Amino acid sequence: MSAIIEIEHLSKVFRLAKRRPGFLGGLRSIVNPELQLVHAVQGLSLRVERGEMIGLIGPNGAGKSTSIKMMTGILQPSGGSIRVAGLVPIERRRELAAKIGVVFGQRSQLWWDLPLIDSLQLLRHLYRVPETRFRTNLAQLCELLDLKAFLDTPVRQLSLGQRMRGDIAAALLHEPELLYLDEPTIGLDVVAKARIREFLQQLNTERRTTILLTTHDMDDIEALCQRMVIIDHGHKLYDGTVTEIRDTFGKDRMLIAVLEQSALQQLPRDEAGEVLLPDLPAQVQLVRTDGPQIWLQFHRDAMPAHELVAWLGQRVTLRDVTFQEPEIESIIRRIYEEDLLLHQVTA
Amino acid sequence: MLQNVFDDLRLYGHFLELQVRSQFQYKLNLLADIGAYLLMTGLEFVALLLYFIPFPSLLDWKVGEVLLLCSLTYTSFGLADVFGEGIDHFSLIIRQGSFDRFLLRPNSVFLQVLGSEFTLRKFGRVTQGILVFCLALVLLPRSLWTLDKVLVLFLGVLSTATIFLALFLIGAVICFWTVETTELINMVTHGGREMMQYPLTIYNDLLQRFFTFIVPIAFGAYFPTCYILGRPLPFGFPAFVAFLSPICAVVFAFLSSLLWRIGIRHYQGTGS
Amino acid sequence: MFPFYFHVALASFRRQLAYRWANIAGLITNTFFGSLFSFVIIALHHARQSVDGYTVTDTLRYTWLAQALLMVVMPFAWYDLMNTIRTGEVVSDLSKPCDFCWYWFSRELGRSLYYTLFRGVPIYIAGTLLFNLGFPAGSLQLLIFVLAFLLAIVLGIAYRYLYNIIAFWIVEARAMVWLAVTVALFFAGSYIPLYFLPGWLYGLAQVLPFNGLMNFPIQVLLGKVSPAQMGWAFVSLLCWSVGMILVMRFLTARATRRVIVQGG
Repeated sequence: MSAIIEIEHLSKVFRLAKRRPGFLGGLRSIVNPELQLVHAVQGLSLRVERGEMIGLIGPNGAGKSTSIKMMTGILQPSGGSIRVAGLVPIERRRELAAKIGVVFGQRSQLWWDLPLIDSLQLLRHLYRVPETRFRTNLAQLCELLDLKAFLDTPVRQLSLGQRMRGDIAAALLHEPELLYLDEPTIGLDVVAKARIREFLQQLNTERRTTILLTTHDMDDIEALCQRMVIIDHGHKLYDGTVTEIRDTFGKDRMLIAVLEQSALQQLPRDEAGEVLLPDLPAQVQLVRTDGPQIWLQFHRDAMPAHELVAWLGQRVTLRDVTFQEPEIESIIRRIYEEDLLLHQVTA
Repeated sequence: MLQNVFDDLRLYGHFLELQVRSQFQYKLNLLADIGAYLLMTGLEFVALLLYFIPFPSLLDWKVGEVLLLCSLTYTSFGLADVFGEGIDHFSLIIRQGSFDRFLLRPNSVFLQVLGSEFTLRKFGRVTQGILVFCLALVLLPRSLWTLDKVLVLFLGVLSTATIFLALFLIGAVICFWTVETTELINMVTHGGREMMQYPLTIYNDLLQRFFTFIVPIAFGAYFPTCYILGRPLPFGFPAFVAFLSPICAVVFAFLSSLLWRIGIRHYQGTGS
Repeated sequence: MFPFYFHVALASFRRQLAYRWANIAGLITNTFFGSLFSFVIIALHHARQSVDGYTVTDTLRYTWLAQALLMVVMPFAWYDLMNTIRTGEVVSDLSKPCDFCWYWFSRELGRSLYYTLFRGVPIYIAGTLLFNLGFPAGSLQLLIFVLAFLLAIVLGIAYRYLYNIIAFWIVEARAMVWLAVTVALFFAGSYIPLYFLPGWLYGLAQVLPFNGLMNFPIQVLLGKVSPAQMGWAFVSLLCWSVGMILVMRFLTARATRRVIVQGG
């Protein structure tokens, strides 16, 4: 099986002219520009097989959008090679465009003043989709994305969730092999998000459309992506599964216990009045207290969760107990801050 | 190759249909726009006419003659403005980030830019041009018109329209580097239109040369008018040069399309 | 309260200073169009040396003064107030403890000062250099011109305030703005010096307030107005400005009530 995306040692350097202040400075900048080099992407290598669904995460300015622009032919690379669907994007941009779909979460490609169906009709003509194929695709998309209710509504009157579904439909009308989604669930409520995630899951499993998802929402990644790529400062920091990263870096779980009021008052306190839990087991820490709630952080391998609950229950009367998995967000933050991935990059 | 042209034309037609339908969503607004625009352009023309009450002629050009020149300029600029509005407003496309979306489609970027805007009220200037032409016909002797003069008229209008469109395109290309200079570009396009309403000979030598050899609007509007009126062409050109306006238009259009390609490549090299 | 309004005007002036490049671009544009009209005027005068006592030089000066005054009294598309209505900002503005009208007045005064210094003066100087205009007036005329000029600014501010605040009641006001500005510019003398208009039209123009925007001040500076005409013009233009300000305040009160009742 051939890969749909093959990127090797991709790099992009931007030459920015530094702005000098003042009127004379402005004139000098035209005549003798002082250039600043920005390495947006450095030595990025990535291989995506057909039918994969991968999540691309990284802080703002990490080089994610720059990479995607190079993959779609909008931006020319400074170095390295890219092949998408067997084509070099910058050379065969228009040909490639017919095989891919792109959805921007924050910028719609739909025409504002007209009903959704009009935008879709125009896109049919742009992508040269034959009439019958269009009708079939539209019917399928209507059903999967539940569009019938607002097909005839002007786009400016649609809710964000409806508009998003419209944009996704617009991107899929021509049955692309590869779909890029840039922040597709941003600003949506829980129900709308779940809906879109469900749809993307179906699209990936049934149609085998390769999906590349850029997002800040960790729930998206955990729900959808088997594979996750972390990019920061133009480098690829991590390329593997979500479980792997959790197992490697996210070994700490959190136990949140709600104590009985009387039990809370019986607990010993230190000089500052903070609650103390003496002789906690190894690798268990009291992280926080808030009224009757206490947060205990414990290492996954230290003791099984039920044992810790039992230990705690023996010392204080518990009203309620919940567990919290470490959020990918905080795992990633730890990785950045503690430079944990320096030796762990999986190709 | 020809099939591509037909396909693109059909696609352009779809764009136009969408734009028109979009405007018809706000019918009252559309009427108001058309009315106000007609008034604006009409008032400019009325001012021109009013000058001829105290003054019998402009240099040695009579009213009818000036109106002929005017009508040519109005009509050709009007045509360019109607179809080239997307190009004229290109700075907006860049600033809103819509250009990336154009690059993501399998279609010609130029076509998408053209199709991005099309407002009906701009036909007002074309209509005005035609009306002014009718007025000029009334004021000029009927014996003036021969077949070759009608031909040079048509060639002139189409060539000047093309040159104005190419000018818009050059203005758009500059937007790839900076969006701060739109006002200066407007000066060349709208200024050029304003200038071409009056005989070229009233301007100083520098301006005459600029609008003949660098931005050849004079070739399409002034030269044909001189030919029709039996006046000598400027710079000592022989009369048949008036028929060369299409060549000027093609060369100028070709140059501007080259610049357009360079602009796109620059955009793809440096990002937005 | 006066120091507050003074600072509003000053802040507005300072804000305009930041748009240096835009101003230069505008200067070049104004100079270009001024030159263009000048060529036309010169060509027209080939057949006839003077009209009603106005020579070529007079009319050229008129043209350049009109270009110079343009941005000061009647910037073409002024939507500032209308935009705050559209975005809803105006609701919080109306509940501020200052007078809404005078606030906008002060703001626009600051801008007008900027445009006087950085457009008006440079443009006339450019015209003088390019077309050898010279300066037309003696000190007495200059003094009266300054008065007429200040009146022009007041009229201009009141007018644009009015055609903006109407946006409270008309939803899509863009076309109306074009109409308002075009008519005003025509009767101010921007399209054609008013003394070229046929008698009845000239008469009409002289009773409209737009006359005070450009035509009247310019004619004063050119020394073409007799004391009697001057008196009559000042009186009528003062009446117009008072009238317009009264309408401004009336409409603002109505708008405020509407905001309170409807909640914006």
